[in-house]
Amino acid sequence: MTDSFRVPLIIRGEIIEDADVEHGGRRGGVSFRAPDVAKHIAKLPLRTPSKMADLYTLSFDDILDYLVELGKRLDHARNRHVQEAFRLSCITSGLSESILRHHYDRLGAMFDRDEMRRMMERGCGVDYLESWVDQGPSIFPGLRARTRAFGARCVHVIAGNAPIVSILTVIRNALTRSDAIIKLPSNDPLTAVALVRTMVEMTPDHPLTKHISVAYWKGGDEATEEAIYDPRGVEKIIAWGGFDSVKHISRYLQPGIDLITQDPKLSGTIIGREAFADEATLRSVAKRLALDVGAQNQEGCVSARVIYVECGTDEQGLARANRLGELAFAALQALPPHLSTPHKAFDHTLKAEIDAVRLQDEYRVFGGRENEGALIVSQEDFPVDFSRQLSCRVGNIVPVDDVETAVRSVNAYTQTIGIFPEALKEKLRDRLAFQGAQRLVSLGAAATMQHNMEKQDAIEPVRRMCKWVTEETADGEVLDAIAG
Amino acid sequence: MSEYFEQLLADPTSFHSLPYDEGFKLSREQIERLHLEGSRNRFAQLRPRLSVLDKLAREQGIDGIETIDDVAPLLFAHTIYKSYPISYLERNRFDKLTQWLSGLTTSDLSRVDAHGVESIDDWIDLIEAKSDVMPSHTSGTTGKLSFIPRTKVQWNQTIIHSAIIIRDWWGRGSGPDILRDGMPIIIPGYRHGAAATQRGNSIQVEMYARGEENALFLYPDARFSADVASLGGRLRAVEARGEAGILDISPVLLERREMLLELERRRPDDLRQFFSEAQRRFGGKDVYVTAMWAILYDWTAEGLKRGLKGVFGKNSVLLTGGGKKGKELPEDWREQSLEFLGFDNIFEMYATSEMMGLCMMCERGNYHVPPVIVPFLLDPATGRPLPRKDGTTGRFAGLDLMPNTYWAGLITGDEITLSGWENPCACGRTGPHVVPPVRRYSEKEGGDDRIVCAGAPEAHDRALEFLAELAL
Repeated sequence: MTDSFRVPLIIRGEIIEDADVEHGGRRGGVSFRAPDVAKHIAKLPLRTPSKMADLYTLSFDDILDYLVELGKRLDHARNRHVQEAFRLSCITSGLSESILRHHYDRLGAMFDRDEMRRMMERGCGVDYLESWVDQGPSIFPGLRARTRAFGARCVHVIAGNAPIVSILTVIRNALTRSDAIIKLPSNDPLTAVALVRTMVEMTPDHPLTKHISVAYWKGGDEATEEAIYDPRGVEKIIAWGGFDSVKHISRYLQPGIDLITQDPKLSGTIIGREAFADEATLRSVAKRLALDVGAQNQEGCVSARVIYVECGTDEQGLARANRLGELAFAALQALPPHLSTPHKAFDHTLKAEIDAVRLQDEYRVFGGRENEGALIVSQEDFPVDFSRQLSCRVGNIVPVDDVETAVRSVNAYTQTIGIFPEALKEKLRDRLAFQGAQRLVSLGAAATMQHNMEKQDAIEPVRRMCKWVTEETADGEVLDAIAG
Repeated sequence: MSEYFEQLLADPTSFHSLPYDEGFKLSREQIERLHLEGSRNRFAQLRPRLSVLDKLAREQGIDGIETIDDVAPLLFAHTIYKSYPISYLERNRFDKLTQWLSGLTTSDLSRVDAHGVESIDDWIDLIEAKSDVMPSHTSGTTGKLSFIPRTKVQWNQTIIHSAIIIRDWWGRGSGPDILRDGMPIIIPGYRHGAAATQRGNSIQVEMYARGEENALFLYPDARFSADVASLGGRLRAVEARGEAGILDISPVLLERREMLLELERRRPDDLRQFFSEAQRRFGGKDVYVTAMWAILYDWTAEGLKRGLKGVFGKNSVLLTGGGKKGKELPEDWREQSLEFLGFDNIFEMYATSEMMGLCMMCERGNYHVPPVIVPFLLDPATGRPLPRKDGTTGRFAGLDLMPNTYWAGLITGDEITLSGWENPCACGRTGPHVVPPVRRYSEKEGGDDRIVCAGAPEAHDRALEFLAELAL
């Protein structure tokens, strides 16, 4: 069964199904076959920018119509491409089948017309995508300016830890009227393929279908990447992933190519002393904490890992922290299976660390015996030394005397922070932003992802994906006069 | 034979000085009896005096060892000897670090008062001065050092043990008897330091070379500093705690870094001196050389570059191991090393810092597990012991019965294949042996362009390493 996966190359509506090259996958030891990109490389970049014009025969509503129709066709029960992507993801993903099923059953729901419009309205303004927008008066007498957001020719090096990444990429590309080459990740090569294949089957000659391609090549393949990352065919690169992914690309950066990096991030939690007001509050806090740690099996950048708790570090404080750990671990075990399950490929390195700290007085460990997840409670005011490796539903509660320690532990790699209570969030929000935090949410709401989709790590990638072109009109007589 | 076996049963530690070849003539029944009774006795002896082992036994609900598989749940994760919080180092809480270490040894550390200590090197020296422990540390490739509480007596025993191995490995008395006759020692590394590779230096100088005049080190005066070795890892840990961590960086750390830079500057001079002394004092003589392969290669490549070949006598010996350590070496790195050295009497081992015993490579290329190490293969997914069946592959774990003051039972990060249970190795030695290759699980699991959005980029870590090298 593992040999049967094929990843086609899709170039502007043309599906190429050769199986020239075998690629090893990661988890599960899965491999897949894909066409040799080198043979088709010349067709991949869009060297003639004038061909972007067909996208401008479409109105924003036309594009929404198209995407809504696409969403309808991504029905997991009927769409065999979605089924195939699901089947492969079940092997390669860190998410369990029950969670993946939940995602793949709802692929179409992401294509909600109103939500897509609101998203673009907040992200860059629909009027800017649709027309030249007057920029108001200027200090230069008689000068008026109009700005429009144009799509660009982009390569998207996407992440494969959740299908949402593929969906977002397709939606953003269409709504900004851009041209995309999606470089598939080895840990989920088929979800983007399922989307684009369905587009081809839906309307093979539609401009939106013609402006998206998907390809797998091994990251770092010089011959391929030299041909693709060329400013004559590509204006922007949107790169997810860490150092290695970006390092490959940085070699090709030159004037004319704009790199938008979506770095890996870690998220955390700050819980104020109010959590311990009474037993009912504490139980609720524990459940919400379990949600932030456990949702999507902690596979996301939004997932909480280190949890600072303002409970004090004296004996009573530690007792409070341990009690929270115990309750949060129980709540983690009780999360519904479409959200979170014991991890099917628990990280061995992490397991060895947990086994060692379990025997030390410096830590209390709840769970962590097999793959059920764990809450490790530090018995002093610092996190475990392996805090960056926390995954597979393992959180680390760190007791602190006051939230200052928590605030100062935040850095530029901190994406989301779940905070309890609300008043503490408002009190800390500016300072957390100074430190580098990018998204502050109510405890338990980290995985809603809602606004992170557009603001994504505080960089507004949709805005950056566009080219903001200005057309100015000056008064001829004024210019005459200047010329003397 | 029987007397030999009885002695091993009564005291596995005595293995260190007994004729080495005898250990590979035992029958399977004898080996299994030694494994079972040895484990049972060692566990019963150490558990009441080792709080960490006691805690593990309670966690696992094991009170006694009935079958050999009962030992498996009692093996420590390989991280145990570095399970202290790194913040203890940053906050100069060496008193707490002492307390942590005391949970891992039966030696008395109560006279060690580490208040006011500001560096790992000083802490190690203090323990050595105030107890019978002579702690060693790992080289810290991950940035966090393990500390192993081996005693002075045990360090002596390991040095005796190495000499016995060299004498008997290819047959009783086949090699030089270094303990009886002495031998000059050549080590292309630091003379001083507490890392596992330096720890035995003083004892070797005394027992093998019988004086400094018969010993040659690349850095004869320098110490391999634990503080420097841990710098990268500590800065990483500090950075993970944001601004809160940066405030904790110790000035002593920065001072040690200066020492390292000074040493790097002097390296070309030291190398020149080392080669000229090697030729002048030891050229053509039979010597004992020891170094891990990767370090050895650096040295020999440098020597070949200077046109040096066949430097030492034909009956010299080399004790080595450790593989390539992730270094990029040319195809013929072994041959190059031997061409420089001028002899091919190599003793190659597979070993871990926590155990005293070594697994030596035979003429068939297999590493033989000595009878005092109880080897296990664990299922990488479940951690449960796999059957003792030839050709089985799994995560290597083992209990070395020789150390009697700390629990040398632990699970490594290595994937290996074991044979020799049912059919002995073609070399004729009995007992289990490791069939190469040895692979790190961490290497096996990484490697392709799997991209995720969660994580803290390694770029940051590399930037820190850069910082450690240049900017502080």
